[in-house]
Amino acid sequence: MSDEEHHFESKADAGASKTYPQQAGTIRKNGYIVIKGRPCKVVEVSTSKTGKHGHAKCHFVAIDIFTAKKLEDIVPSSHNCDVPHVNRTDYQLIDISEDGFVSLLTDSGDTKDDLRLPTDENLLKQIKDGFADGKDLVVSVMSAMGEEQICALKDIGPK
Amino acid sequence: MDEIGLKAAHSAVFKDSDSLEGICTRIEGYDFNQGVNYSGLLKSMLSTGFQASNLGEAIEIVNNMINWRLSDETIAENGSEKENDPTYIESVRTKVFLGFTSNLISSGIRETVRYLTEHRMVDVIVTTTGGIEEDLIKCLSPTYKGDFSLPGAELRSRGLNRIGNLLVPNDNYCRFEDWIIPILDQMLKEQLEENVLWTPSKLIARLGREINNDSSYLYWAFKASLLAFVLVSNKIPVFCPGLTDGSLGDMLYFHSFRSPGLIIDLVQDVRAMNSEAVLASPRRTGMIILGGGLPKHHICNANMMRNGADYAVYINTAQEYDGSDSGARPDEAVSWGKIRDSARTVKVHCDATIAFPLLVAETFASGSKKFSA
Repeated sequence: MSDEEHHFESKADAGASKTYPQQAGTIRKNGYIVIKGRPCKVVEVSTSKTGKHGHAKCHFVAIDIFTAKKLEDIVPSSHNCDVPHVNRTDYQLIDISEDGFVSLLTDSGDTKDDLRLPTDENLLKQIKDGFADGKDLVVSVMSAMGEEQICALKDIGPK
Repeated sequence: MDEIGLKAAHSAVFKDSDSLEGICTRIEGYDFNQGVNYSGLLKSMLSTGFQASNLGEAIEIVNNMINWRLSDETIAENGSEKENDPTYIESVRTKVFLGFTSNLISSGIRETVRYLTEHRMVDVIVTTTGGIEEDLIKCLSPTYKGDFSLPGAELRSRGLNRIGNLLVPNDNYCRFEDWIIPILDQMLKEQLEENVLWTPSKLIARLGREINNDSSYLYWAFKASLLAFVLVSNKIPVFCPGLTDGSLGDMLYFHSFRSPGLIIDLVQDVRAMNSEAVLASPRRTGMIILGGGLPKHHICNANMMRNGADYAVYINTAQEYDGSDSGARPDEAVSWGKIRDSARTVKVHCDATIAFPLLVAETFASGSKKFSA
């Protein structure tokens, strides 16, 4: 019936692309790049000029923003690379569940419960200890290409 | 001076000599009074002396190599039926190994090599990586004549690469990259989906097929391998064990970042190359090697596996005083068993761009030779 013909994506980010193309030669250190499908932060760029090896090329060394793994790529500098849209949003920490999920308060007053605790040991300890101490914590959540992870913590309570 | 001293001096200078008449060739050069007869001019080299004589000898040796047939040998009485079949033994020729360095393919010697492969006059080719890519690149964009003295820094700023007195614009390599990367992608696909295990010689044959241009010797070498199934004629494998050492290697390197996983097996190729020598019998083997380095040694080494080649012609400018293999004369190879001590050999100390076309003119191309199919 007619319902089946018009089936729209219900997710809020429908239509918004997760990456955008950018010429390899314009991507700089501390920028972002997609390598092997992973969103990464560039730590090193070196360019080799056009020569016997063909077109001028950019050699990128980058760190996966979620797994911290080092990845490399070499791309002709005139080619387009995918650059991930990386967003950072702050949420207030409400609760930590027993099975490792966190409960966060969004700006609109809703709760966001689908995020896990971070795997980074330092950050994990800080969150758990801070929460156990009853502090008012705000977490920064980095999101890119459909993945999200807590990347930083702030104590906004009174000193 | 007193009489005795004068007589002593006289006998020292005018020492009696052995007669060479009838034993050694008289030295006599070309007489231009007979006009400019190029064939006569080349034939006169044998009696001109120094490297001209060496070239003359090389021409003789190559002609012997080309003209030899198994029917020239006395067959053992208890030989197999095949060995006693006159049609068969008259068809068995010398297996010719041709080796050359990359710079020669950058030069116009490429056209001579193309002629030899087009007419299937050689059986096995060994070269370095530039010998592969320069042939392919010339189909996409030409190489130009420059000068040895052009300043490097200025050439770099103008995007020109110098090979001796030749110039190759960077753009040529960019075109090569654009041409070859999709082919490497396809080859990777075939490796993963059809379990193809690539070797340098298989990759080269594929590139010869893809370039599909009759100015390329690799194209003709590939065609020969196709025709070998239909005619009773030779395939022409092209071996390049040092495949990564050139622009082609750069392309493999870059390709491995974008689409990793392409495997190129050297072991299969060393089997194939050595088998060309080992399994050549009852054919004789001959080596024509232009330049030194990897092609020279690789061919000699393979022939060692059959206790030595029967003919060897080296054309290069290297010297032996530093002990290099490039500069080693054929006699050094005899000590290794790479050339038989009964073999006919010569080294022509000359730049191959001069000597090789002249050699081919008086041998392979001279039209009076017995070539099958």
